[in-house]
Amino acid sequence: MLRASSELAARMKEAEGFNAWACFHCGTCTALCPLGYEILPRKLFREAMLGLEDRVRASIPQIFSCLLCRMCEENCPAEVHIAENIRTLRYLINRQEFGLK
Amino acid sequence: MAHKRRIGVYICHCGGNISDHVNVKEVAEALLDEPGVEISRTHMFNCSDASQQEMVDEIKEENLDGLVIASCSPKLHLFTFRAMAERAGLNPYQYVHVNLREQCSWAHTGDKVGATEKGINLTRAGVAKCALTHPLTAIRIETQPRVLVVGAGVAGMRAAISLAGMGLSVFIVERGNEPGGWASQAGRMGPDDRYGPEVVANLLAQIRNHENIILYTSAELTAKSGHIGDFTATVRLRGEEDVSLNVGAIVVTTGFTPYEPEDGEYGWGKPGVVTLKDFRQMLEAGDGPLTYNGIPVRDVGFIYCVGSRQTKGDTCPEPNTYCSRFCCMATAFSASLLHEFEKESGQTINQYHLYRDVRTYGHLEAVYTNARADGALFLRWDPKEPPRVEQSNGRLAIKVKDTLLGDEELELGVDLVVLATGMTARKNDTLNNVLKIPESKDGFYNEIHIKLRPVETAIDGVFIAGTAQGPKNLAESVASALAAVVKTGGLLKKGYVNLEPLIAEIDTDKCVWCNECLKACPYGAIERVLCGDKEVAMVIDSSCKGEGACVPVCPQDAIDIEGFRDNQIMAMIDASLKELVAA
Ligand SMILES: Cc1cc2nc3c(=O)[nH]c(=O)nc-3n(C[C@H](O)[C@H](O)[C@H](O)COP(=O)(O)OP(=O)(O)OC[C@H]3O[C@@H](n4cnc5c(N)ncnc54)[C@H](O)[C@@H]3O)c2cc1C
Ligand code: SF4
Ligand code: SF4
Ligand code: SF4
Ligand code: SF4
Repeated sequence: MLRASSELAARMKEAEGFNAWACFHCGTCTALCPLGYEILPRKLFREAMLGLEDRVRASIPQIFSCLLCRMCEENCPAEVHIAENIRTLRYLINRQEFGLK
Repeated sequence: MAHKRRIGVYICHCGGNISDHVNVKEVAEALLDEPGVEISRTHMFNCSDASQQEMVDEIKEENLDGLVIASCSPKLHLFTFRAMAERAGLNPYQYVHVNLREQCSWAHTGDKVGATEKGINLTRAGVAKCALTHPLTAIRIETQPRVLVVGAGVAGMRAAISLAGMGLSVFIVERGNEPGGWASQAGRMGPDDRYGPEVVANLLAQIRNHENIILYTSAELTAKSGHIGDFTATVRLRGEEDVSLNVGAIVVTTGFTPYEPEDGEYGWGKPGVVTLKDFRQMLEAGDGPLTYNGIPVRDVGFIYCVGSRQTKGDTCPEPNTYCSRFCCMATAFSASLLHEFEKESGQTINQYHLYRDVRTYGHLEAVYTNARADGALFLRWDPKEPPRVEQSNGRLAIKVKDTLLGDEELELGVDLVVLATGMTARKNDTLNNVLKIPESKDGFYNEIHIKLRPVETAIDGVFIAGTAQGPKNLAESVASALAAVVKTGGLLKKGYVNLEPLIAEIDTDKCVWCNECLKACPYGAIERVLCGDKEVAMVIDSSCKGEGACVPVCPQDAIDIEGFRDNQIMAMIDASLKELVAA
């Protein structure tokens, strides 16, 4: 059972530059990502927005592998600032907001 | 037969649709031998302007008094050729249509010889019928310039104002104490943020100012008699006093009933599980923080499609299979209202929107886009595994499988669950007994044709509009109300209406008033009258549809339907079996 965290979800809403709520899950980004991780980027964003700490933490290698190439962002029909959002996640992880010690 | 008939027969190729499988030349030649046939020829397209002009000229030159068109289905071109007959100075009821396409060529594609033989027989039958036609005139009815609108929701109020604007007098009958319908309780409404009660108040002010509109509240339609253009309606006021209204048409705008969830359905009955209507009213209630039972709300889950798009199952023997249309937009719009509240109050509230498919069609898409842009999280669930709502640690927990996150179940702790309940047909037994408007399988009133005649019903002079006809948002309810206004205005502003004269006729010598025809008639078109001292049946011309239920039940054989008289039917049978009869 995945448990959403109300606190983290609310925290995401304050995170600067993060706008993945606009995503409507077309899957374009995942299909285009040269890294081929199924988690990147839409599923990862969903997990962050729900405050699923464990899941986000488990995806740290992928989050830091992202090339910021913007292949995804360029083609996103919902104007999600994907690369920016990934940076935001890196920042939050560095600030230990996802329970990282 | 008094005099020899002069009949023209025109066989159509239908550009090959008929002539590929029926030898039309052979049919035309065979028909020349029939009694009364003066002309028999073929056209590539009977309906083309050139062919019609040729036929008009020939009818005039040859002084024809009968016309047989053998072509496609009369559903397609009956009125085309009636109009053509009139242009040629021939009474349109002396034209007979034979269907050589649907009933012959298309049905016998592999058998040209057989199809040709059948084509000859069908056309012969048409000629035999035509020989027994006589000129008829349409029944003309004077229409009353007054309209009854049943139901004063937004659809009914809007219709009344526009009808009155056309110069018609309008009576509105509203069953409740107050006009307005559901819009009065819907708070701020999407997509353009109009306040429901204010929309209603504006309409009501216009109604009060209009001298041509009378609004009855706490009133119900309890009886109706008469026919299109001239109805008498009985309206009961406050359950005691009756008024009688003479109107030319009736517009039914009785609206919908919100779906009432079953006990336990998505947690219905648990504290904190509310409908969208309750939620809109909570948002409006006060200046303080948004609370439920005194506890500030931090997380809200919206569940979409409640009571709509159901599939049949043990718990749902009679599913509402339709989409309610308004709820995706109305719920996504509520997301923006909640965001606005969040910004103004500083109270942080997470929103989870649990949907099946988002149906914010057309320009309503903007409502969905805005809701997401502002931070509402949309999660999609599969109807095979709908979300469950449980109580846990003094809060509510929604358990759902988000299709994006895969198989693992997700638990969302929330303080409020808002159910986007759909629209269902309103129970309206009294009204249904009075008006007898046909209903769809979902219980909403049925239009004649969903695309081409969306506000007319099988009952002439009775129109439907708004959500009484099926789920609609406010704008769509108003659009359909205005469509009904146009149809009503078209009917009543002319002052008269022409009805088909192809109706029942009773031979009063034969009739013994046994009452059988009255019992059989579904339109109430039979009346008892005195003919001298004798009680006999009489047909109310304007109510009879020529449907024919009375004909076979009459033990005296006293009834004939114009256009389908017994002697015509017998002649058609004889003609089509000519060879067999002769042999
Ligand atoms: C909670 C909620 C939120 C909504 N939000 C939105 C929104 O944001 N945007 C939007 O576009 N739409 C919204 N809608 C839908 C909108 O309210 C409807 O489309 C609209 O009100 C339908 O109007 P109507 O006149 O067809 O029916 P109704 O409002 O149902 O009116 C029918 C009227 O007929 C009366 N009546 C019924 N039977 C009889 C009878 N036998 N005799 C006499 N009178 C009778 C009723 O008392 C009622 O006054 C919402 C609806 C609800 C419930
Ligand atoms: S920016 Fe990152 S997530 Fe997007 S396509 Fe490139 S590598 Fe993949
Ligand atoms: S391309 Fe954009 S809208 Fe589509 S799934 Fe990726 S982030 Fe979402
Ligand atoms: S409008 Fe949306 S919520 Fe309403 S029934 Fe249709 S799909 Fe479901
Ligand atoms: S069924 Fe025939 S006989 Fe009986 S009332 Fe009607 S018309 Fe007269």
